[in-house]
Amino acid sequence: MKAVEARELRKTFGGVTALDGLDLVVEPGTVHGLLGPNGAGKTTLLRVLLGLVHLDAGDCVVDGSVGGFVEAPGCWPYLTGRQNLEVLAGMDDAPGDVGEVLDRVALSDRADTKVGGWSLGMRQRLGIAAGLLRRPQLLVLDEPANGLDPLGARQLRDLVRELASDGLTVLLCSHDLTEVDALCQDVTVVVRGRDVWRGPVAELRSRPGRCLMTTSDDPRARVLAPTVLDDVESGLSFVATTAEVDAFVLCLAREGIAVRSLERESLPLEEALRELVA
Amino acid sequence: MRVLRWELLRLRAQPRVRAAFAICLLGPPLLALVLSAQTGLPKDTLFGRHVRDSGFALPLLVLGFAGTWAFPLVTSIVAGDVFATEDGHGTWQALLTRSRTRAEVFTGKVLAAVLTSAALLAVAGLSSLVAGLALAGDRPLAGLSGTPLGPGRAASLVLLSWATELPPLLGFAAVSVLLSVRTRSSLAGVGGPLLLGLVMQLLALLGALGSAANVLLTTPFAAWHGLVRGDPYYGPLWQGALVSLVWAVACLIPARRLLLTRDVT
Repeated sequence: MKAVEARELRKTFGGVTALDGLDLVVEPGTVHGLLGPNGAGKTTLLRVLLGLVHLDAGDCVVDGSVGGFVEAPGCWPYLTGRQNLEVLAGMDDAPGDVGEVLDRVALSDRADTKVGGWSLGMRQRLGIAAGLLRRPQLLVLDEPANGLDPLGARQLRDLVRELASDGLTVLLCSHDLTEVDALCQDVTVVVRGRDVWRGPVAELRSRPGRCLMTTSDDPRARVLAPTVLDDVESGLSFVATTAEVDAFVLCLAREGIAVRSLERESLPLEEALRELVA
Repeated sequence: MRVLRWELLRLRAQPRVRAAFAICLLGPPLLALVLSAQTGLPKDTLFGRHVRDSGFALPLLVLGFAGTWAFPLVTSIVAGDVFATEDGHGTWQALLTRSRTRAEVFTGKVLAAVLTSAALLAVAGLSSLVAGLALAGDRPLAGLSGTPLGPGRAASLVLLSWATELPPLLGFAAVSVLLSVRTRSSLAGVGGPLLLGLVMQLLALLGALGSAANVLLTTPFAAWHGLVRGDPYYGPLWQGALVSLVWAVACLIPARRLLLTRDVT
C-alpha cells in the first residue's frame, strides 16, 4: 500500500483554483519532495492531507495517521514547550511520550520555559515534535528550515534523515532545492494546481543544466560544445547533462584545449524545475 | 471530555482569564473598602442605601451593577476568545490533527468557556457576599417590597439571585462563540457581545421596544428582582431562562456548523 495515494484532487477558494486535478503518490518509508512556484497549490495539498481543508472533488487515501505542520507551526505562547505538547497529547488516543519526543527534537533543556520567548528554530522543532507525538505514519513538513540559521537548518536535515531512516514517510515541501536534493528520494512538481512531473530526484537531477566554461583561446571549443547558449566574453555558456559535460571536458583534453574553469550556473534541479514550470 | 479538560487548563493559563478572576475576586472587597471609607451611600442604586445596614445588600448591589455590563464583558473575555485565539496563534492545525473530531473540539471548547464564565460568576458572587458580611455583618436585609429577610433566607436569596444570572451568561457566551468562530477575531469575539449588551441596555432604557424588550438578552439579568421580596414572583425568571436558551441555541448551532465545515487556511 502507498503511504499517500491521491487522485484528481480539486479545490477552489472563492473562485480561485488551488488544486486542479492533482495526483500524488508517495511510497512508504521515503522522503518525498513537493516542488513548485508560490501559489502552485502545494500548501493546499498539505492541508488536505492534514484534514484541514475539505476537497471539492477527488480521492485522497493516506495509510495511517498524519502529523506535521503547514507554513509556520502554531503554539500557545503562554504555555511551556512541555505543556504545549501535553495539551496535544491529551487529545490523542495513543500519543507518544512527551519527554521522548522533546529529546528527539533536542528541546529537553528548554522544555519547561514558556514558548513565547522561543526562537523560530525552536518553534519549528516544537512543531515537528507535535507532529511526532501522534506516532504518525506520514510526517508533513512545509518549509521546515524557513528562517533557520545554517546550523539550525543542518540539524533539521539530520533530524529528517534520522526519522526517515526509522521508516517514517516524510512529505517535504520546500523552496530550498539543496535541501530537497539532499533529503528526498522522489519529488512531485506542482504547477497551477496540477502535478506536472513526478519521479526520483536522481532522474530530475540528471536533466541538463546550465554551465559556464572558460578555455584556452581556441575556436574549436565552441564547435565541440553541446547546445551553446551564449558565447560570452567571460566564457562559453551551454546546457548539458553531467554525462555530457564529462564527455565534453575529455574531448577538449584530447584536442589539446585547456579547460581553465568550469562552473554550473544553476543546480540541475533548479534548471529542471525552471523548465517544468515554464 | 478530554478536550474540556485540556481547554480548561489552557484557559486557566491565559493572562486575560487570570486577570478576570483577579478582578472578580478583588473587585467586591475593594468596593466594600471604598464604601466603608466614604460618608455617603450610593442611594440611587438598588440596595445601595442598605449596604451599611446588612451584609447581604452589597452582593445585590454588585449584582445589579454587574448585570448591566460586567457579565457580558466577563463572558466575552472567555468565550469570545476561545476559538479566535487558535486562529491568532495558528494552532488550529495542531488541534485538528489529533484524534478528536471537530465536533468534539467544538463541544469541549464551548463547555470550557461556559464553565469558566460560571466560575467567574461564582467567584464574584462569593467574594461580594464575604465582603458585604465583613462590611456590615449578617443583619436582616430589607427586601425590595420592604419586608425584612432574616440572615439565613437573605443568604440563600443572594446566592440564588447570583445563580439566576447563569442563563443569560450562557446566552452571551453563545453570542461570543458565534462571533469568535465567524470572524476568527478575538477583538470581535470579545468586543462584539459587549457592544451588543450595551445596545440592548440602551434600548431597554429608552423603552423603545415595549414588551419586545423581553426578548433582549440583557433583560434576564434583572430577573432576580422578583426573588428578593417578601412575596417573590418567578415569571421573569422562567421567561429569562427561555429567552437565554433560545439565544444560546440560535448562536451555537450555526457556530458549530461553521467550525465543522470551515477550511483551516
